[in-house]
Amino acid sequence: MKRYLNVLLGVLTAIGGFVDIGDLVTNAQVGARFGLSLVWVVVIGVIGICVFAEMSGRIAAVSHRATFDLVRERLGPRMGFVNLVGSMLVTLLTFIAEIGGVALALQLVTSVNHVLVVPFVAAAVWIVLWRAKFSSIENVLGLLGLTLIGFAVALWQLGPDWGELAASLGEKPAQESWATYAFFGVALFGAAMTPYEVFFFSSGGVEERWTRKDIGVMRANVFIGFPLGGLLSVAIAGCAAVVLMPQGIAVETLGQVALPVAVALGKVGLAIIVLGFFAATFGAACETGLSTGYSLAQYFGFQWGKYVRPDEAAGFHVILLVATVLAAGVLLTGVDPIMVTEISVVFSAVALPLTYFPILVVANDPDYLGEHRNGRVANLLGVGYLVVITLSAIAAIPLMIVTSMGQG
Amino acid sequence: MSTARRTAVVAVLPALVLAALATGCGLVAQPDSTAWDDHAEQAVSDATSEVATARLALETARRERAWSSYTVVLVAQAEESLGTVQDDLSRLQVPPGRDDEAARLDALLDEAATAVEDARSSAVEGRYDDRRVLDALDRVTGRLEDAAGG
Repeated sequence: MKRYLNVLLGVLTAIGGFVDIGDLVTNAQVGARFGLSLVWVVVIGVIGICVFAEMSGRIAAVSHRATFDLVRERLGPRMGFVNLVGSMLVTLLTFIAEIGGVALALQLVTSVNHVLVVPFVAAAVWIVLWRAKFSSIENVLGLLGLTLIGFAVALWQLGPDWGELAASLGEKPAQESWATYAFFGVALFGAAMTPYEVFFFSSGGVEERWTRKDIGVMRANVFIGFPLGGLLSVAIAGCAAVVLMPQGIAVETLGQVALPVAVALGKVGLAIIVLGFFAATFGAACETGLSTGYSLAQYFGFQWGKYVRPDEAAGFHVILLVATVLAAGVLLTGVDPIMVTEISVVFSAVALPLTYFPILVVANDPDYLGEHRNGRVANLLGVGYLVVITLSAIAAIPLMIVTSMGQG
Repeated sequence: MSTARRTAVVAVLPALVLAALATGCGLVAQPDSTAWDDHAEQAVSDATSEVATARLALETARRERAWSSYTVVLVAQAEESLGTVQDDLSRLQVPPGRDDEAARLDALLDEAATAVEDARSSAVEGRYDDRRVLDALDRVTGRLEDAAGG
């Protein structure tokens, strides 16, 4: 019975923890501008993150070591360093965006300018990273993040013409250029496959001392939780497509993301969604903060993790503190967190090959994984996705320039 | 990296930076007529979005489906964004012979900004059903749609 409850808890937290500021903003922007015509990208992105999260989870369960630890050992310090720099810069950018997202969520309740809230949010994130248990962070914020199911309820309550909505799947709006369509496709793909999700997942597996026996539970979390989390992304886009698109509203703020829910469900629905914003962004801030610490500590060989006392992993906790101060410092300059989010999802797409290629290599190594190394299906999917990821990484920057960040 | 390649990189990088500075960092941008049209079209589209956001936020609050701080934040952010749209357009050099058109667009954006500013003021005071404010938002929406269509 306890095992089934653990599976259920894992799946629920995987759903609740799937959406972050990048998913919230990008899906709402795409829905308001392209309707559901880019949903196919979310589907491809969710399958992709499932493929690589399963590999990294399997690596953690069998080898009891996390991704960066093995990448450096298997591919050498130079490749490991390239992998570290690319992935960590994107994770740091995402960390800044998530802390900004928490401040924006609080601004919707208090109407206090988000810049003034940033220091308190940063302090709260750091205290949680320092003091809270890993399982508490994952379970409490993951379960609270489930309140974002309100988007699916709101979409149903809005009562759209489902046939019309389904007909818009994959059909680019005539007024939009192919370049803009492709740019938002890449951004959506980057948001769905953010590198930190895999680092956090595999390092979390080591933190929670997964063994070979846990591979089944891990797969249930990935193959059930992540796709259901992906459905939340589609619901966010659907709400924006139904309410914002007909009025010509382009999403630039977190408040606009919630507006369809207020229209559909009123104050209670709005309160639930804002709580979901808070949980999703605070949870992702903790995950990206920890991922920054994990990646640096694993590369340089420090003691790391929440499973050891802070004084035994001092270097790891110093990294967390420095990253938090840096994130707060950037946000205190007054930079728009939504703009940081937009940039982070594009650069996430650029960094994807650096993150996922080494995982594929390690997942094929019999020395680390023995009989649990990749099978034919995992390799077929992994190589196929590497091609897609590489194309998306090559296209991201030119598309960003040509379309002026998706403006035209 | 070989010495020759390193020298080439050292030479090319500053040249690229200088080129970027020379082409993209002027105080006043001077687009050609087509580029100015694109900017103007974008400004109208952005203004339409901000006015519609303010209108929907007020309407949602009037139907008691959103609380006041949320409505104020939403409308205030629309007002701020509209200010940015105006500022960005005013920094573009108007192409020769397009002064009248630019003045009309400027007046339209001004009207939109005033309508959203009034909406913010109403939202702060908790008056979500002020007919004058709602009518002004509807009027300017119509004009923006006409401008986008024309």
